[in-house]
Amino acid sequence: MTASKIRSGMTRLVPYAFILPPMIYLMVFMFWPLGRQMYMSLTNTRIINPNRGRFIGLGNYQRLFDDPAFYLSLKATLAYAVLAVIFGVALGTISALAIDRPFKGRAIVRAILLFGWAVPNVAASLIWLWMYNDRSGVFNRLTEALGIGRFGWLTSIDLALPSILATTVWQVAPFVMLVVLAALQSVPHEVREAARIDGADGLSTFRAVTLPHIRPAIQLAALLVCVWSIRRFDIIYLLTGGGPVGTTSTLVVKIRQTAFENHELGMASAYGAIGLVLALAVAAIHCTVEQRRMKWMAR
Amino acid sequence: MLKTPYRRQFLATAAVLAVAFASAVPGVGHAQSKVTIKIANSQWLDALRGKNLWAAIAKYQEVAPNVSLEQVAIPSAEFADKLTTEMGAGQGPDIAIMQEGLFFAMADAGFLVDIGKATEGVKLNKTNDNGMIDGKRYGIAWQRAAYALIYNKPVLDAAGANVPTTVDELIASAKAASAKTPGVIGFGARHQINDLSGWYMDFQSWAYGYGVNWTDKNGKLTINTPEAVAAVTAFKETYASGIIPVGDSMPTQRTRFKEKHVAFSIDNSGGTLNIASGGALASKDIGGAAMPFKNPGAHQQIFLGVSKHSKVQAESIKFLTWLMTEPAQKALREASGPDALATDVPVSEAYSAANPWAPAFVKLAETSRSTLIPGHEVETMQIMRFVMQAVEKVILSNADPKTALAEAQATIDKQF
Repeated sequence: MTASKIRSGMTRLVPYAFILPPMIYLMVFMFWPLGRQMYMSLTNTRIINPNRGRFIGLGNYQRLFDDPAFYLSLKATLAYAVLAVIFGVALGTISALAIDRPFKGRAIVRAILLFGWAVPNVAASLIWLWMYNDRSGVFNRLTEALGIGRFGWLTSIDLALPSILATTVWQVAPFVMLVVLAALQSVPHEVREAARIDGADGLSTFRAVTLPHIRPAIQLAALLVCVWSIRRFDIIYLLTGGGPVGTTSTLVVKIRQTAFENHELGMASAYGAIGLVLALAVAAIHCTVEQRRMKWMAR
Repeated sequence: MLKTPYRRQFLATAAVLAVAFASAVPGVGHAQSKVTIKIANSQWLDALRGKNLWAAIAKYQEVAPNVSLEQVAIPSAEFADKLTTEMGAGQGPDIAIMQEGLFFAMADAGFLVDIGKATEGVKLNKTNDNGMIDGKRYGIAWQRAAYALIYNKPVLDAAGANVPTTVDELIASAKAASAKTPGVIGFGARHQINDLSGWYMDFQSWAYGYGVNWTDKNGKLTINTPEAVAAVTAFKETYASGIIPVGDSMPTQRTRFKEKHVAFSIDNSGGTLNIASGGALASKDIGGAAMPFKNPGAHQQIFLGVSKHSKVQAESIKFLTWLMTEPAQKALREASGPDALATDVPVSEAYSAANPWAPAFVKLAETSRSTLIPGHEVETMQIMRFVMQAVEKVILSNADPKTALAEAQATIDKQF
């Protein structure tokens, strides 16, 4: 075998060598635990006896689909994720557009807008918990001063989910803003200028020039916000713990409750599997939309 | 540099000398045989009580100098999660000081060992009864904290309000106290599902107070009884009257009580000891009385158990044997306020005089009931989640108590 052949063989192996470490990492820390979880969802494993679970087939799933609390949880998860995406992306995009153009004090405004993203979730939740407090929270002080009385922001069935959403949006909108802002920087200045010279107004320029450029970034941000919302635990658990009357009991909160309160690790794994399916469905929708867009652009 | 044969010789000689030196010096040899017992408890984190409780048990190190006790302090909110996970993984502390519900779960999973030896010849009181499972002793009582009505005496005196004996009187007195002293909260009580583990135990006092038995004679779960409906209705009336600080967690409410901002609360003796320690409200200004219900209420029970995974089981049982002795129980009494202990160690007259709320708890502990449902000890929290969801529905959405409890009964019948 000649030296060049050996070199060429080595060259062919290089890409595999590069992807080997992440593959090992994914196998050990993702696929193996995922497989274990899937298997566990078919057993009656309890947390206090994790190695003594018995195979029960689809028993956990059957129980889960028979339980009205599961549908309530699914509804809460979907409502929370969809609304977090809508408001988070809208607010983040508007903020990005607002600070894209130079103005005096832009750096300060940008720093302030980023604050929500920089604060750790637990600290942010505790701050909002105090602001929502019925007796001494700043929101009720404000509403009382306005003469419209007090509200149970986290204790009312109608207000708990919107209140949690407000905290979530405050946290995720800066991230969306950053992503969209980066995309906005890539919009060619000449194209915008040309549109302006051709007499296009601000809205038309945005729709015809800016939006196509930033759409992939918005889609990516929406996908991430959606997946994060499906698996978000800290904010919801700290603010309401899933209450009142299960209105904020998302799948992740249910997983915690099933695993640690009821000690049913098998059942909690079944809840986890449903959450995984949801997240995969969102990713699949994103990929389909992206593929269609690419095809449309190639035409 | 030494050559290989010389180096080996040198190392071997050094090793022999080190062993000889270690066995000749008493301190070093002693250190090697020292045993460490890890004791997990959420109370170690309590500001004053934790320190006092630890000081009481740390005296064992004087009696057994070869033993070193090590604190495993876990916040109460995480205690059950952490312990179940650790024990499930074959790890965890040697001794766990845990709530009764967790104790039953641990015993049921086979994680605790028989500690009957530690109680041989000891006159245990009835607080230890639930520590016996299937004829074996898996738990010894650490403390039993009964529930009582506590109140801020100066606030009540200022309002000319009476200590209530019914729920209606409680609402009236709480309102009078709030009206007379602006900023004062009428009544502190848990009321949120995000504090389920605490709320269901507190609510048992309301339920038992109205005569609820969560099971019938045959052990069948009975959730929608007239007594339960009455208890939920009473709690709803109290909640709807506006005397409860909606949204405040129990630690916040206790802090408010400490700072003289609460008129009444239903709390256990451990919580009250916390309120009475180191705050603006002097312990002598706190009053204690029977709860405003017809029947006796509940108590929280904490058990000591030795882990099956412990490598120092024999030493741990020896420690428990010492803990049952009179001097150890007396030391524990001083740090435990009026909580009942494993043996009958009376609260001293001096303590009662300095803490006028304490005697009420001692008296109520004589008739109080466990927060666990007999025959369903391991699943009590699961069952009570459905009950508390019904209570939550009633207080927040104006649902009919009877209907809400009937729904809970139907769900429970399906699952248990």
